[in-house]
Amino acid sequence: MTHIDELLANGDDASMQAAAIHAANCGECADLLADWNDLSTTARDLHATWNSDTLWPRIERKLRSERRTPSFRWMQIAAAVVIMIGLGVMAAFALREQKEQRDFDKHIYVDNALNDVEKAERAHVAAIDRLEKLTDAKLEQPTTPLMVSYKEKLVVLDDAIAECQTNIERNRRNAHLRRQLLAIYDAKRQTLQDVLREETHVSNP
Amino acid sequence: MSPEDMLGATLAAATQTIVPEEASTRSTDDDRRLAAQCANGDTAVFERIYRTHGERMKSIAYNHLGNVSDAEDAVQETFLKIHRAASTYSGEASFSTWMYRILINTCYDILRKRQRRPEDQEDEGSFERTAPAVDDNKRIALRKLLNALPEQRRSVFTLFEIEGLSHAEIGNILGITEGNSKWILFSTKKQLQEQWKKR
Repeated sequence: MTHIDELLANGDDASMQAAAIHAANCGECADLLADWNDLSTTARDLHATWNSDTLWPRIERKLRSERRTPSFRWMQIAAAVVIMIGLGVMAAFALREQKEQRDFDKHIYVDNALNDVEKAERAHVAAIDRLEKLTDAKLEQPTTPLMVSYKEKLVVLDDAIAECQTNIERNRRNAHLRRQLLAIYDAKRQTLQDVLREETHVSNP
Repeated sequence: MSPEDMLGATLAAATQTIVPEEASTRSTDDDRRLAAQCANGDTAVFERIYRTHGERMKSIAYNHLGNVSDAEDAVQETFLKIHRAASTYSGEASFSTWMYRILINTCYDILRKRQRRPEDQEDEGSFERTAPAVDDNKRIALRKLLNALPEQRRSVFTLFEIEGLSHAEIGNILGITEGNSKWILFSTKKQLQEQWKKR
């Protein structure tokens, strides 16, 4: 880079002044500086000015119509909100479906289990009924105080069974009541066996 | 040319930089207020901006695009972009610098869209000139040379030599340093000077 290039590259007042002083004594640099300044002078004349009466009204009209239409950003926000709501509704619907399916399955399993329990209960009750029939004659006309006591115990147990069954009808799924009912039936079965044993014991002294 | 004339021409060239009034005196708060008004779509504010900067904006656009129609489209598009983006104005640069940055980018977009040199659509000669300083041949020759320059070089030359912005402002508008702007101007002028001699 020549000395004058450095001055022109710097471009500040002092450098340009120094370049002019140098060019005054150097023909080659004088030509260079003359072209340099000629470029700047011509460039200044390239500033374009023209009358455009319609430009501002056009811009104003566009700005007004832009204000009337919702901005792109707001449209983006609105679209995002709609999509979020849509996804939320779909997710809630899917969850509800899943829950309903689970509840349905649960009901099926519970109902099946209950049916099994009730079936077993019915078989158990039928067996106890058959046992009771065997003791009917003895208990109809009790001959000993012990038999009277067994008869009274069986009446109390039957009342307890009836009460328990009434409660179970109100709430089929109450396992506690069912266990209680089973315990009462066991007690009845045990009592009926005791009656039969006593009968055998009495008839075979 | 006598040494005195040479000194006078050199100083005139060096000191022709005109700092835009808006950029030099507006405080950041004023610029933020102005941006807020633009974001609200206050057309009176836009009109004030147009009256203050419109002429220079048109000239910058013309010197990038080469024809009046595209230049006016670029200015119009710039105002719409200002309206849309005013709410994001951070105040890092002055409002006018930010505005000119949008204008230059809009010009680049138009140039890229049409994918051809603006000299194809030149309409030199339809301007109002109160006192032409140079003859038309020189002006047309320089404009052709400018149109052949890469975007950034053309922008630096246009903003400094034609529109009289400072290197600091050009740096802010184009996202380059002040020193870089100086260097680009120097190398561009050296390039133009070579071609200028040959004409």
